Amino acid sequence: MDLLGLVKELGIIVAIAVAVLLFVLVAVLYLVLKLRWVIARIQSRLGPNRTGPWGVAQTVADALKLFQKEDIIPCGADKWLFTIAPAIVFIPAYLVYVVIPFGAGLTPRSLDVGVIYISAISSVGLIGIVIAGWASNNKWSLLGAFRGASQLIAYEVPIILALAAPVLVTGTLNLDKIVIAQGGGFWHWNIFTGIPMLPLAFLIMLIAGLAEINVTPFDIMEAESELVAGFNTEYSGMKFALFFLAEFAASFTLAAVIVTLFLGGYQPPLPVMGAQVTGKLAGLIPWFALISLGWFLFKCWVVVLGIMWIRSTLPRVRVDQLMNLSWKALIPAGLVNLLATGAYVAFWMPK
Amino acid sequence: MKSSYLEDFINSFVSIAKGLWVTVTHWSVLRPSVTELYPDVMPKLPENYRGMPTLPVDPKTGRSPCIACGACARICPEHIIKIEVDASDPKNRKPAAFEIDISRCMWCGLCMEVCPKNCIRPGRDFELACYDRKGMIYTLDKLQSMGGELPAEEQEPAESDEGS
Repeated sequence: MDLLGLVKELGIIVAIAVAVLLFVLVAVLYLVLKLRWVIARIQSRLGPNRTGPWGVAQTVADALKLFQKEDIIPCGADKWLFTIAPAIVFIPAYLVYVVIPFGAGLTPRSLDVGVIYISAISSVGLIGIVIAGWASNNKWSLLGAFRGASQLIAYEVPIILALAAPVLVTGTLNLDKIVIAQGGGFWHWNIFTGIPMLPLAFLIMLIAGLAEINVTPFDIMEAESELVAGFNTEYSGMKFALFFLAEFAASFTLAAVIVTLFLGGYQPPLPVMGAQVTGKLAGLIPWFALISLGWFLFKCWVVVLGIMWIRSTLPRVRVDQLMNLSWKALIPAGLVNLLATGAYVAFWMPK
Repeated sequence: MKSSYLEDFINSFVSIAKGLWVTVTHWSVLRPSVTELYPDVMPKLPENYRGMPTLPVDPKTGRSPCIACGACARICPEHIIKIEVDASDPKNRKPAAFEIDISRCMWCGLCMEVCPKNCIRPGRDFELACYDRKGMIYTLDKLQSMGGELPAEEQEPAESDEGS
């Protein structure tokens, strides 16, 4: 390959990376605002409404405030680990977006091991959380990190068991191909195909995913009433903002993975609403790509609203309850579900 | 009695569904927000709102019917009411000066209870903050302008009715 071609390819990679990063930032800014609105309405309040029209600039103002704040490194902390921990948490949350099919032909990088990639990369962030808890030299931070470690180890297993069910049914690990296999109306979406194993897998995925992204029923690793703020107690300013960003980026990732694997990804609910999109057709007419992007974002929005609804309703579980739920309920259910799905695919699924 | 595993399982789903139903009804238009947009929209004070002591004005005489007896100044637990009597006309005593240092007032309402002419009354003003401690000392003019008018049924009868 000549130098010009190399530069061109690098430029495309950088452009995609910047586009995805911008998307993550805008999505997080919106999600934080929406979360505050939704929780406020559920509690019969109005939520942020002073900054800009209807308070739309609230999260921008919050971000600017965090930029200005002093970056404090406690004197007892391990300086280097303390500094790199937010990056270790944020980078995996951002890397996961690489394989998500945002629309027909709009996958940043279509990997043939997409599902494994997602579950592998998203658990790397845990290392950053443990590092943050250790480097802070604060007992609350360390307790939060320990809790986070045990929680994410416990909940990674049911997630993978749940992810395996749609993978078995569609017969591919490539997220693009999983979405294309669900084309042609909502009755082709994995959750509605009539195979009883898939809705169960969806339920397991949803519950375990809530634990994976640390939202309220399972947020024991940053339980305010017990641990001050958990692993990020000592963090302030930009480093704290990175943790915050990673948390909300992960919550969008969960919605995106659920939508891709179970709810038909970017496929419209009816074939006429945006045409039957395949990768080939989208290359010819970019309009379809945009419509499919719209459908994908809409579905993610609905799933995220559902997550916000759950997190503003349920009280926080105890640590032992959290562990019991995973090891005694979700993992056995996931294993049985996986066996049943395998048996179905091997013996009864029409070829 | 210990509940069975299956019962626990079903109960947890039922209770979560109930909780989600409660929150979704709050989320919908059925439950309007209770937030008051105070500086933009003034709150509706209740009818019997008890604010700081004021001296409502009788529109017929143009001043408060206060007779400067000093009962309020004596009963005030903080001794913040200062009255000077204008006794030039013994038939018509009135205060020459009337001061309340509202910064030390505790809204106890004893002055209103003890007043024989029932002329010191709770006001409806609640935005009393100011930048200077001297601004908290309310003089007769200020107390009268804050009090508004006496309700019609309690105003002094006209002089002619009294004479007959």
